[in-house]
Amino acid sequence: MSGLSPAPPVLLARIGKPNSVSLDSYVADGGYASWKKVLEGVKGGEWTPAKVTDMVKASGLRGRGGAGFPCGMKWTFVPTKEKRGDKPVYLLCNADESEPGTFKDRLLIEKDPHQILEGMMLASFALDVKHAYIYIRGEMVHGAEILDKAVAEAHEKGFLGTDVLGSGVDLTITVHRGAGAYICGEETALIESLEGKRGHPRIKPPFPAVSGAWGCPTVVNNVETLSCVKHIVDRGAEWFKGVGRNEKNTGPKLYCVSGHVEKPGVYEAPTGIPWEELLALAGGVRGGRKLKAVIPGGSSAPMLTAAEIAGVPMDFDGLVAAKSMFGSAGIIVMDETTDIPKAVTNIAKFYAHESCGQCTPCREGTPWLLKMLRRIVNGEGKKSDLDLLLQISNQMGNGMTICVFSDAAIAPVISGITKFRGEFEAYIEKSTKPEFEQKAPTDLTNEIADRKAAGIHS
Amino acid sequence: MSGGQNLPVAEQAGNPRVGEHGALSCGRTLSFSRETRADFDRLLGRYPTKQAALLPTLWLAQREWGWISREAVDYVATLLELAPAFVWGVVTFYTMYNRAPVGKHLIQVCTSISCHLNGAEEVFHECKKRLGGLKTGEVSSDGKFTVVEVECLAQCDKAPAVMVNDDDYFVITKDKLDAFLGGLK
Amino acid sequence: MAKVTVDGRVVEVPNDANALEACRAAGVDVPHFCYHPRLSIVGQCRMCMVEVEGVPKIQASCTVPVRDGMVIKASTEKALAARNATMEFLLINHPLDCPICDQAGECKLQDNAFAAGLPVSRTSEPRRQFPGYDRTPIGPHVIADMTRCIQCTRCIRFCEEITETGELTFIERGGHTIVWTHEGKALDNDLSACAADVCPVGALTTRDFRFRKRVWWLDKTRSVCDGCEIGCNISIEHRDRIVYRFLPRVAPAVNDFWMCDYGRFRSEELNRQDFLKPEIRVAGGDAERRQTNWGEALDAVKAAIEKDPSKVRVIGSAFLTTEEAWLLAALCKDSLKVGSPEFTVDIGPKRRIRNKVDGWIYGSEAAPNSRGCEAAGLTRTSSLSSSSPAVLYISDASFSEKCKDPAFVAGLRQASVLIVHARTRNALTDAADIVLPVAPLSGKEGTFVNAKGLVQRIDTAIVSPPVVRTDLEVLLNLGARWNAFDTQWTARDVFEKMQASVAGYAGLAWDSDALVGNPPSISPAAAYDVLGLERDPGVEVFSRPSVTAPDRLP
Repeated sequence: MSGLSPAPPVLLARIGKPNSVSLDSYVADGGYASWKKVLEGVKGGEWTPAKVTDMVKASGLRGRGGAGFPCGMKWTFVPTKEKRGDKPVYLLCNADESEPGTFKDRLLIEKDPHQILEGMMLASFALDVKHAYIYIRGEMVHGAEILDKAVAEAHEKGFLGTDVLGSGVDLTITVHRGAGAYICGEETALIESLEGKRGHPRIKPPFPAVSGAWGCPTVVNNVETLSCVKHIVDRGAEWFKGVGRNEKNTGPKLYCVSGHVEKPGVYEAPTGIPWEELLALAGGVRGGRKLKAVIPGGSSAPMLTAAEIAGVPMDFDGLVAAKSMFGSAGIIVMDETTDIPKAVTNIAKFYAHESCGQCTPCREGTPWLLKMLRRIVNGEGKKSDLDLLLQISNQMGNGMTICVFSDAAIAPVISGITKFRGEFEAYIEKSTKPEFEQKAPTDLTNEIADRKAAGIHS
Repeated sequence: MSGGQNLPVAEQAGNPRVGEHGALSCGRTLSFSRETRADFDRLLGRYPTKQAALLPTLWLAQREWGWISREAVDYVATLLELAPAFVWGVVTFYTMYNRAPVGKHLIQVCTSISCHLNGAEEVFHECKKRLGGLKTGEVSSDGKFTVVEVECLAQCDKAPAVMVNDDDYFVITKDKLDAFLGGLK
Repeated sequence: MAKVTVDGRVVEVPNDANALEACRAAGVDVPHFCYHPRLSIVGQCRMCMVEVEGVPKIQASCTVPVRDGMVIKASTEKALAARNATMEFLLINHPLDCPICDQAGECKLQDNAFAAGLPVSRTSEPRRQFPGYDRTPIGPHVIADMTRCIQCTRCIRFCEEITETGELTFIERGGHTIVWTHEGKALDNDLSACAADVCPVGALTTRDFRFRKRVWWLDKTRSVCDGCEIGCNISIEHRDRIVYRFLPRVAPAVNDFWMCDYGRFRSEELNRQDFLKPEIRVAGGDAERRQTNWGEALDAVKAAIEKDPSKVRVIGSAFLTTEEAWLLAALCKDSLKVGSPEFTVDIGPKRRIRNKVDGWIYGSEAAPNSRGCEAAGLTRTSSLSSSSPAVLYISDASFSEKCKDPAFVAGLRQASVLIVHARTRNALTDAADIVLPVAPLSGKEGTFVNAKGLVQRIDTAIVSPPVVRTDLEVLLNLGARWNAFDTQWTARDVFEKMQASVAGYAGLAWDSDALVGNPPSISPAAAYDVLGLERDPGVEVFSRPSVTAPDRLP
């Protein structure tokens, strides 16, 4: 399909240029043209919020943060001015990129912050937002500094502030740093965290579009999503729609390829690029080894075997058809040397560490899975363990919890055990103790516990 | 027939003991320097509620004092008109607020999946070993180093990724460890 | 109102109700931990899982607002499986210490495990421990044990939303989450023990009740706290003539689900009975008092009064029930012809309680029934007049804190004969010539009128020791000596006799819901359904809610 033919990068166009973070260089590359264009067209009625929203809707842009929800549709959920009354609308840029295997937003933040800001400006215009926030994860200290500086520059040059460029539009952007919690990437947890609380996801409904930050209508969009908005207004919805595999998987997409590949990194390609082509972009499997498995959408996505991923279009629907998910496009490649039980245990450790702890199945289930997996890879597994792991996993997901964290936590466990059961059984067969005296280890060499004892980093 | 006579613990109510999950005391009352106070005042204007300034205020506190002590919690709670318990609940939810003093170089080794696939656990353990058998979270005797394990730093293409204080270090494999540690003065 | 179908049963519930409340209204028992009718909905225990028609995923019923026509399936295979799953998760780390846990018997986790838990444990991992966070007092009345905590946050929400003091918080996250106070700060608000009430498990218990009695042995009698004029509805929990604790009893218009620590921990005081027999001093001021029988004592009272009825003065007390006050007033007016008895009430310290109707309500009078006493014909005075009568009759001797003060007592002692009703010893009883032993709150029956003017009934929890009488019995027996009263009258008889003449009592029925502490529309039984009352002390005989294990369990 023509939508998949290679084209010069759009989102990454300015990466690698000298001083790409500065406003001047951004403007020199044609930046803020769309923002100016829109603002200049406000008074004449040439540009209206609805027009921007319609463009985004028409473009078929789906959220780049993980869920893949149609962006334009999300925007239309915000109540109209008549319905919301005096309540302001907030736009939150989700820069809490923490999904293991995902590092695209960091690149955009650190190398081309104004692209994100312009996307936010256009989105704010479409949504009648006066104050937008960027929630950036605490670990990206320099990213936050770069964004802070970019926002200050934009204010200075009049792209932000009151009555921007004489259009009558007011807009402020604030950079808000998180402090180390994966769950704050979940949009309602992000809102709670922004409000100065523990990042506990909220019960939905109400959805943030109706009642989000400080009880006001709120739209939470990912960094890459907002960057796309800029290019949609730049080049038109038709252009965006023309890139990508089909109408439901449109636009240029950033792919984060890591793990056992020759050239790990962020690659821009049309949404839906076939797996093999993407792997080739990343230089193929490291050292010419054989591919064993791929986690295609960040650690929350079920892993696929080499056979299962063959020929799969790397997009939202392609990966759903392959019984996994596109998620944040964090593609983790595992070659034939990979110890799958250890990899699964590692991912389980991540989820046990990051569970917020409010819902029982997740709070109790994630450490339980971890304890069992650790026991298995430490050579003290039992024959009954694998079925129990699957049973526990199955009673953690599908609505058992407030948010989808626990669904994410069980995906690698279920897919790992079902697809590579032999490797787990091999550990259990080597288990030193007969079934009846297999005791759970008392010392789990749990680093998390070590850290806690030391009083640093829970 | 008084009810409390069989209490198994000696502590008297009203002054619960300091446990491992509690805020350590720094032994003096705290208040922001003039410069930090100005930063704090600026913060307040950015949010519709005072409470929303909690995370950034805690960052200011950590910048000022290096870690979040009991007194820092009390001070921040007063500034933002919050219950101290609430503030401590927030501090402990997030991993990046130090709850004890840390070394000059806080070495944060990522061990999430992409780094794990590139040998991060070994790097983490080796790192502690080469710093004289340092335990996780412990401050080295010269006060220079603290090593902790962290989750994904979004540097998966540069695995194993390490963060030292605010700075990112890339592809810190086992054989590069000596050079890496030597570079930290 | 919304019409909701629960397991085929149709119920009408208010539009702001949630699916869990609808289930309870329909009589379908959906177990839950974090839901509490007076606290915000957090939906985090994931115990109350049900299916809702048209919604593909299983739902925590407390988080689902009802809508007209909603169909809830609370007992399907899928719903029961989900609840079993949550129970399993809660139990893998919960200590197996029910035999030494004070909550046993009124523990929601125990009840739900009994009703819906798996018969086997599938975990072989070590159970989570919180060294240093077990069996520790976190305030003057509350002991915390985090190994038992199920992280439902009811206590945190209580301190944030009801008392608005915020002493408790979640600390850490994920599987390490505990509930604790900030270092160096105690859980010491004026309602702190309610945090233990709302705790569904044994994570928070009150140190005053700890290890004193297994809860299933306790008899529960409805009563009203006599600590101040608010008149919080309470359950007196007792066994073998010993009062072990007070618990708040649901009264939406008064104390709702709560009571203050001051009132709650007055319970121990009820076990004190210094006077077991009437005591009398016949030979004048200096002789020792000797114990006697009721006949001689009351005859002596009558003889003293009849010497010179015009020089008799009577002082009542706002601790009397309205029935007792009415008898006292009637005796003075009709038989002794001495005019109306006086009474005075101690003011302060200010107590408070919160309900959904009024917000905070305050009580500054340190006695429960000044309004009832006035209505019954007693005269309120701020300071007792300093006349020195021949006979001073006081009911009772603890009407004021000042009765402990020898200087104050010296003023009253100027009477030639001093007669008191008394339970506990103080300066006034030491000075008295005739002491008539009476029962405490737990031995009484009658009504109080609270600060809001509500008439509330108290029941007899404990039959007093053989020779101790209630104030009511003493007055009846004394009055009988003038043929004024019949000694066989009960509190209810007096209530019905006085109704017509006592303001606020007309039209009330002794057995009506209005009197037993809930608004007329909510009977104690209905309160359980509508309000989700955790402990239902309105029922005098302790009975377990019937629980049925799902048939599909092995």
